[in-house]
Amino acid sequence: MNNENLNWHFVQDSDGIEDEDIIRFDLDDKTFCIYKLQDGFYATDGICTHEAVHLEDGLVMDDEIECPMHQGIFNIKSGKALSPPACDDLKTYPVKVEDNKIYIQIS
Amino acid sequence: MNSKEKIVILGGGQSAVYAAKEIRNYDNKVEITIISEENVLAYERPPLSKEYITNKKKLDDFIFFNSEFYSKNNINYLKNTKIINIDFQNKILFSQNNNQFLYDKLLVATGSLNRKIDPNIKNNYNKFLSLRNNEDSDNIKNKLKESKKVLIIGGGFIGLEIASSANELDKEVYVVEMNDQLMGRSIPKKISNLCKKIHEENGNKIYLNTTIKKINFYNNSYEIKLSNEEIIFVDLVILGIGSIANTELFKNKDIKIDNGIITNEYCETSQKDVYAAGDVSNFFHPFYNKYIRLESYQHAQNHGICAAKNILGIKEAYNSIPWMWSDQLNINIQLTGLCDDFDEILQRGENIEEGVIDFFIKDKEIKGACGIGVKGKIGRDIKLASKILEKKLKINVSNILDKNFNLSKMLKKV
Ligand SMILES: Cc1cc2nc3c(=O)[nH]c(=O)nc-3n(C[C@H](O)[C@H](O)[C@H](O)COP(=O)(O)OP(=O)(O)OC[C@H]3O[C@@H](n4cnc5c(N)ncnc54)[C@H](O)[C@@H]3O)c2cc1C
Ligand code: FES
Repeated sequence: MNNENLNWHFVQDSDGIEDEDIIRFDLDDKTFCIYKLQDGFYATDGICTHEAVHLEDGLVMDDEIECPMHQGIFNIKSGKALSPPACDDLKTYPVKVEDNKIYIQIS
Repeated sequence: MNSKEKIVILGGGQSAVYAAKEIRNYDNKVEITIISEENVLAYERPPLSKEYITNKKKLDDFIFFNSEFYSKNNINYLKNTKIINIDFQNKILFSQNNNQFLYDKLLVATGSLNRKIDPNIKNNYNKFLSLRNNEDSDNIKNKLKESKKVLIIGGGFIGLEIASSANELDKEVYVVEMNDQLMGRSIPKKISNLCKKIHEENGNKIYLNTTIKKINFYNNSYEIKLSNEEIIFVDLVILGIGSIANTELFKNKDIKIDNGIITNEYCETSQKDVYAAGDVSNFFHPFYNKYIRLESYQHAQNHGICAAKNILGIKEAYNSIPWMWSDQLNINIQLTGLCDDFDEILQRGENIEEGVIDFFIKDKEIKGACGIGVKGKIGRDIKLASKILEKKLKINVSNILDKNFNLSKMLKKV
């Protein structure tokens, strides 16, 4: 299939990635986080909506990502900001794994 | 609670509004009134010394909840109302504008007051600025526009954050601190020295073990003589010499005060039906088995929420592990737990770029951790440290020292 046409972008192989791992993915001038949760892979914008810090250094707890700067918390699946000082939601993106390869859909 | 009961929350800060929100979550009938002397709705204080001064954020960006929130939740929010007296016996608060407010349960969340000491500078005090609320921050912002050189008296968190903002605005910055380290004893000396180095590398001049000997004011400029006999000239002086619990209202009242209003683990004061939360309270912490007073964002919120539950009769002990941060220049400092009782300090990380964290260990358990690093680099390990210490897990020294060891593995073993 032609991934480019559907805006699917290859991220990396899925081998060796453990639950609660975070992968950073950069495309042009944008940056994203891909998370391995128990039930699969999910993706959000890479930068915290509170201040400009990358969430790749944050901590995944269940379905939530906690920002490493001020402990703002977001739901990874919905992007919803759950705990201040974070108050604006994160954008989320579809992720799929095919043949052990992770793809993110960025339109 | 009886639905007609009146809960009054004194203070318009973080503890107050989160308590109100929590009360309403559980009870949609009780009457809730927030009384604040400020003329704006409660807002976050951290940006006041940082992004607000550097014009990156406006007040509206960091208001906790807008007015619709309060009306929708049926929370009376009285602004511009300073309480000047209290009658515990008859449960009445008296305001400066001659109003009286009755309460059945009272939550005191009056925060902190800036310290105003130093006899050598007393005569000039009125000319100096200090920072506690949005108006103070506006003043500092406006004065900074006209100033080239700024002196900050006191090397605490707020002073250093203002120093960092002034530096970002291209001011020449001097910080004078009487102690032998920045940020007091709450921050370990090594971390504090790394912070000093960053300020100096960015051009801020920091004097430790130094006091102000004399200040002269000529033609809109100050001549400052330091205790080391050096003389500096500046056009703005900002005081950041720490803060104390705001218990002014309770002088000579029947309520136990000692470095704040004494509260037990249920946020109850020594006075019946009166609770206290946030900066103003010196609270009993069951985990540490001692009284602690904190000035921190996260604590103010959690403590307010806990007080709310106890006010409603949902008994819940406050056991949150302390955590706070400070952002200065390009770095972030974080502290969790307590770093004052230990038999060993273990350092994880070698440099600011990857983050340096000191772990304070006693009997093979983490008691506290404090770190400094380029933004984002220490938060994960600091959070894991607080989870590990909360569970009282015994640590393996080499795991803590090895930056490549993922500390979350320690939590998964149990
Ligand atoms: C400039 C600044 C920067 C900060 N930065 C950080 C940071 O980076 N990280 C961090 O963790 N913490 C930070 N803090 C600390 C944190 O903001 C406080 O711990 C928190 O605001 C405390 O909340 P509180 O509700 O207890 O009190 P406050 O927020 O101080 O609120 C107290 C309220 O009570 C009102 N009040 C007092 N007396 C009366 C009266 N008699 N009548 C009516 N109203 C009254 C006051 O006007 C105020 O509205 C900072 C604080 C300041 C001032
Ligand atoms: S930068 Fe993420 S919570 Fe502040």
